[in-house]
Amino acid sequence: MGAPSLSPEIPPAVAALVDRLRRGEPAALSRCLSLVEQGGALADTICRLASPATGRAVVVGFSGPPGAGKSTLIDAYLAHVRALGRSVAVAAVDPSSPISGGSVLGDRVRMHRHTEDSGVFIRSIASRGHLGGLSENIHRVVDLMDASGRDVIVIETVGAGQSEVEIVEVADVCVVVNAPNLGDDVQAIKAGILEIADVLVVNKADLPLARRTTDQLRAMLSLRARQRDVPVIETVATSGVGIYALAAAIDARSNVSAAQKRANRLRRIRRLIAQSAARRIRDQILALDGPQSDALLFDALEGNCGIAEAVERMLRMIV
Amino acid sequence: MTAPRLDPPARVLVTKIGLDGHDRGSRIVAAFLRDAGMDVIYTPPWQSIAGVVKLAIEEDVDAIGVSSLATDHLIVPQLVERLREAGLGNIGVVVGGIVPADEQPALLRAGVSAIFGPGASRDEIVQHVAAIAARARAERDADLREVTS
Amino acid sequence: MTKEAIQLSLPGFDQDYAQWRADYTRQIGVDRHIVNRSGIEIQPLYTPRDWDGSRYEPDLGFPGQYPYTRGVYPTMHRGRTWSQRQLIGLGTPEDYNARVRQMLAAGATAISFLPCNSGFRGVDCDEVDPLLLGTCGTVSNTVDDMEVALDGVPLGEISTAMNDPSPFTLLAFTLGVAKRRGVAWERISGTSNQSDYLSHFIANHMFYRLSLPGSRRVLTDHVAFCLERLPNWNPVSVVGQHMQQAGATPAETVGFTFSTALQYAEDCVARGIDIDVLLRRFTFFFDISISFFEEIAKFRAARRIWARLARERLGAKNPGSWRFKFHGQTSGVDLTRQQPLNNIARVTTQAMAGILSGLQSMHTDAYDEAVATPTEETARIAVATQNILREEAHLCDVIDPLAGSYYVETLTDQMESEILAVIARIDAAGGMYKAAESGLVQSMIGDSALRYQDKIERGEEKVVGVNCYQLADEESAFRPTERPDPSRMKAHVARFKAFKESRSRGAVYRALAALARAAQDEKDNVFARVVEAAEAGVTHGEIVGCLRKELGFGRPLIVA
Repeated sequence: MGAPSLSPEIPPAVAALVDRLRRGEPAALSRCLSLVEQGGALADTICRLASPATGRAVVVGFSGPPGAGKSTLIDAYLAHVRALGRSVAVAAVDPSSPISGGSVLGDRVRMHRHTEDSGVFIRSIASRGHLGGLSENIHRVVDLMDASGRDVIVIETVGAGQSEVEIVEVADVCVVVNAPNLGDDVQAIKAGILEIADVLVVNKADLPLARRTTDQLRAMLSLRARQRDVPVIETVATSGVGIYALAAAIDARSNVSAAQKRANRLRRIRRLIAQSAARRIRDQILALDGPQSDALLFDALEGNCGIAEAVERMLRMIV
Repeated sequence: MTAPRLDPPARVLVTKIGLDGHDRGSRIVAAFLRDAGMDVIYTPPWQSIAGVVKLAIEEDVDAIGVSSLATDHLIVPQLVERLREAGLGNIGVVVGGIVPADEQPALLRAGVSAIFGPGASRDEIVQHVAAIAARARAERDADLREVTS
Repeated sequence: MTKEAIQLSLPGFDQDYAQWRADYTRQIGVDRHIVNRSGIEIQPLYTPRDWDGSRYEPDLGFPGQYPYTRGVYPTMHRGRTWSQRQLIGLGTPEDYNARVRQMLAAGATAISFLPCNSGFRGVDCDEVDPLLLGTCGTVSNTVDDMEVALDGVPLGEISTAMNDPSPFTLLAFTLGVAKRRGVAWERISGTSNQSDYLSHFIANHMFYRLSLPGSRRVLTDHVAFCLERLPNWNPVSVVGQHMQQAGATPAETVGFTFSTALQYAEDCVARGIDIDVLLRRFTFFFDISISFFEEIAKFRAARRIWARLARERLGAKNPGSWRFKFHGQTSGVDLTRQQPLNNIARVTTQAMAGILSGLQSMHTDAYDEAVATPTEETARIAVATQNILREEAHLCDVIDPLAGSYYVETLTDQMESEILAVIARIDAAGGMYKAAESGLVQSMIGDSALRYQDKIERGEEKVVGVNCYQLADEESAFRPTERPDPSRMKAHVARFKAFKESRSRGAVYRALAALARAAQDEKDNVFARVVEAAEAGVTHGEIVGCLRKELGFGRPLIVA
């Protein structure tokens, strides 16, 4: 069939906005990112309209403990990417306060080389209590940035623990950044974060203990069949040492076949749907009221039925 | 009447332009706004006006707070002008810090929404910022409000 | 920290104390829980139970004797009064010169130079919006500028403090002027007041120009150069002011500052500098807040702690090295914009605390300092304040007059504990350089600042005119803001541009190349090349720009 026609419910203003997004206008991308955060039908519409334009960009995730110099490293990497004439969008994720729900987002200013470069679009994102190291709708953020025509999308996350591995679902290439002076021995780096790495970086490599950290990481990698050829790259982000090697390693790992890329993206969509579904089911169960559900809860409480059976019955009630 | 909390939270830029580098005040205000449930995009001092405009576009901010000691407030009208030129004229700009009384009217005439001196309370600042943020967001969303479905 | 009560055998003491306690409790009603800025609980009364003089010898001693708690010199202010060193900076070099002549005529015994904000940023006057020039300090980008600024100032006789961070171009310009006038560098006395790059990185980003490792290198070079060529110059002033103004408590401030001093001492000793030679030329720069007794206790404790650190930890042998010498500035953070004349009372109180603490030199703020660069009149009142305290209140007649006060001695001990705890924490983090690099110090200060702000918001800490005794309808007591005459500034910038055109390009090029090479050569001395560059006509902005390129642009760590 021909190009998908716009459904009559979509107001021209929205279509025009997505149009401007697809033509690469920063203001339009920025607005869409905000609207998508608000969620709801409007967000769905925008993402649907933008979807055909996705699939071009390379998504690179930067993870690692605080103090490793991630932002400075990204700043240097961005300079390299820009020098090659590619356009970039950065999603910098910072945690929200669990108490107030607000946040102070200060990552973007460490990418100070690019404060006036229109080829670098930077968006600060609060995690909003979402676990996993990113934010709940990071997939949509990435898709919109992709649809706006950016060549490279960089995601920065605080990811040092076992639960902050969500990045692997979103990024084509996961870069995990370490530094030798963080007080923890390499052994203390949680297994989870190491396992997702496509590229490992030892930043602040000019410090005396850097070589030891590199050696330890290489030793750990050699024990894992799946990660034997993960490179460990030494960098000094502040002076640019090692950035070329890092960029080359990222390029090599993002140069996957079109089929692999499509498989990755299908995997991402599946996760997104699963996430949405889980949320919906949860909301429905919590909202369920009435004698039938009460009876079920009572049964479960009294031990008349096990949890597994309770789940079965509950699902039948809401679907 | 307290301004309602926005959802998603209001996005507020807290920044310093000009030459002064003392940022204790802006750091504290950033903390106030965060504790009131807002997302604060916080920059260090010495941002260029062009850089601030770019940031305001990319971050889709709802309000801007400029911290000014010394004489940096003298170039805030230039910032307000650039924001207007970039189509961001509906974003409220507040100035916090030390602004001599005789120089305040000029700032307000240039389009600054409020000036908070050192005696301003947390509540005053938070309420005002929340209010102008809500207004800016409502205005921007107005043209898209028809979509319900 | 609660101290254990001392056992006493004073007849009747216990009964009378119990009686007072009962009467007090009955009359006071609901007692206030009072905690000072450093977090120490303050009791309504102190007695020999708290401090009885039995530890006079190990803990106090006599003025000029280790551990110097009562004063670093035997005579203190009774012999030689503190230096009145008022900070001046505004407008063009001519404007500075006019003001400094007035100050000297009014009795100032030392001078201080504050550069324009553009200078702090590391740029020349032709690189910024002219609206922003000369408003908070004096524009000074060349030896010629400094020559105008110091016209008629007897360089070899008067002490000058240059408030210039790394790479200390103001001193370089001053040395250039001295050379032109035939004043031997050995006679130049003064202090590099803002050589403490760690305190800038942490708490005054305004003054932070070069990367951390770059600043470290240049400071050590600067110290080496000055100790060798400028025997009367203090190349290191370790600064507590910025951190206290950023919100660190008085005890934290001393703890951090001493940790910084230990770091610099370590770095210099590693360079091969003799510890005693270094420490003789170490000075400190602190804010004096209005928490009157707390400040006095803070400085007395600081003297005792420093003496022990210098002697036992750093291994200095010369008693001169164990002396904690400091310049105090009344804290601008305590001043208010509301009812500004009240600030005169505040500055007087702060100055009193400073004098009674035994400082070596002092700057008193003008009452409008919170809002603008001081006018002639307000600057004069600030200096008169010091004169009145000395001449009329006779605050100099007795050395360490508050010693022996049960309260002050107890508080001194308690401040000492707090300060030592902070030093221990920094030690655990690997020393001040690492602690600053990792952001630990910044977050501690941020927490204290927020806590204090909360207290003011809640009305727990009262500030007259701000959260109590406010004027319902406050009219500004300030006259219209003084700004540097725009035509004079414009003329100055034009002269500066003409200067750049007229100087020898070859000399400038060679000097900058030598400077750049020195930055990459650990064996060369960067500051020596800065001095040469200044002489060759290289400007402030060019020198800073060159070093930023070679050693890294200073980007402070933002701990939000």
